Amino acid sequence: MVRRCLIVDDNERFLAVARTSLERDGLEVVGTATTVADALDKTDRLRPDVVLVDIALGAESGFELTRQLVERHPDLRARVVLISTRREDDYADLIALSPAAGFVWKAQLSAGAVRELVAERS
Amino acid sequence: MTHTARWLRGLPAGAVAVAAVTAVVALLEPHLPALGLLPLYLLAVLPVAVRWGAGPAAVVSVVSTVLFGHLFLPSSRRWWFAEVDNGVAIGVFLVTAVVVGNLAARLRQAAEHAARLSAEQAALRRVATQVAREVPPGEVFATVVDEIGRLLGADSTAIVRLDPDGGRAVVAQDGDAPESADELAIPVVVGGRTWGTLTARRGSEGFPAGAERRMAEFTEIVAIAIANAESRTQLAASRARVIAATDATRRRLERDLHDGAQQRLVSLALELRQVESAIPADLAELRTDLDRMAGDLTEALDELRELSRGIHPVILSEGGLGPALRTIARRAGVPVELDVRTASRFPEPVEVAAYYVVSEAVTNTTKHAAATHVRVTLDAVEGALILRVRDDGAGGADPAAGSGLTGLRDRVEALGGSIHVTSPPGEGTTVDVSLPL
Repeated sequence: MVRRCLIVDDNERFLAVARTSLERDGLEVVGTATTVADALDKTDRLRPDVVLVDIALGAESGFELTRQLVERHPDLRARVVLISTRREDDYADLIALSPAAGFVWKAQLSAGAVRELVAERS
Repeated sequence: MTHTARWLRGLPAGAVAVAAVTAVVALLEPHLPALGLLPLYLLAVLPVAVRWGAGPAAVVSVVSTVLFGHLFLPSSRRWWFAEVDNGVAIGVFLVTAVVVGNLAARLRQAAEHAARLSAEQAALRRVATQVAREVPPGEVFATVVDEIGRLLGADSTAIVRLDPDGGRAVVAQDGDAPESADELAIPVVVGGRTWGTLTARRGSEGFPAGAERRMAEFTEIVAIAIANAESRTQLAASRARVIAATDATRRRLERDLHDGAQQRLVSLALELRQVESAIPADLAELRTDLDRMAGDLTEALDELRELSRGIHPVILSEGGLGPALRTIARRAGVPVELDVRTASRFPEPVEVAAYYVVSEAVTNTTKHAAATHVRVTLDAVEGALILRVRDDGAGGADPAAGSGLTGLRDRVEALGGSIHVTSPPGEGTTVDVSLPL
């Protein structure tokens, strides 16, 4: 069951909006992170069921974070969801190649969309 | 030939010729009037005049006359030339011989001058042709030292570049001359500053008069070749800088749009959805309005996204050429077959150029070629990225028309690469690009 979630994004406003939105739909946001190092650290400590990763993390890459997350926590394979302001089509190949469960456009982020993706893949 | 050498060689040769003519005259004299044979000595004077000049020829004329008089003119007086007939004949002959000798010598000089001039013009033309064909300066330098060496009979010729730090670099050399040789050095001036020198050395007899002037004509062409090459290099560098600056600006613009407006609008859209879902069921109208607004917002976001995508393809910086080309293929209006034989990342300007070549070529094909299939091949071989886009459309594309291909040419050539478009009518269009790595 997908209950506890970590959001990784370098935009504070979005983090706040996303937290409200997801929590109202019954997904507990156990933490937020803004950098790759921060995200790895919080994942180690908080053990979320699912990690939402923004693809463009300032100068860092969400794809790279996804790879590292799955390497450190094999149970997170297909439990990382990539999110972005850009559309899925902008990254299509790279999303397909990453070990993430899939992609949700930020404007359409919801607990339902996340659950659907993770359930599909696990 | 120097002045002294002309006399030293001309006089003995003249003596031999005079002796030969005298022998002939001696043979004929018993049968013919002696005075009538005098003009035969012109046969001795003319060759000397032609070969060694008017001076030796005049001496030969006088010697011939004296000899002839002594040997063949019978005289009742003490001196043969005291006889009036003899005196007149001899005088006429002498004047004729000197004038004819002079004319012959001048003719010879003129012919020599013309030949030298034409050889010089031909050499200058060969060098100028190379400069006009924009061959690399190194090749022009090699031709120049070769031509000057031949024209001036130099033992060695060289072009030396003076570096700003005071160093000297020999950029072209032909032959080898002893230290003691006569040396001519002409400065090569490019754009008002002394770029280097053109030097020629000749050991045995030194350079003839005018050699310096003749070399100077070559330095002017060398200067033009250098100035041209420098302009071309500067032009390419400035073209590359302009393109790199444009690319950087586009990348930053895309990034700013993403981090700024798009990010805000996306958060806003998400909030709007939240508000919408919080509205009680009995306010259906408000709910519908909000839903429409959220829909409009999403559309605006998509339009903005489309715009950003045109400004800079983010997948290129994120994933490299392979994924970026697959994105082009997926969005193309014709089936695009990709054959990407390298997964490496390349310098950004190279990746961006390759991306735009494929993007532009596929767009052109879709718009104009009525093609059913496009094949894109990408391979990295021997220090170059080789790219080919080939369609099976109508062909007949004019590479000169349309700014798309011109822009690509600028981009590719600024990187030192080449682009060739072949488009015979009815046989499809092929764009071949090579980008140095």
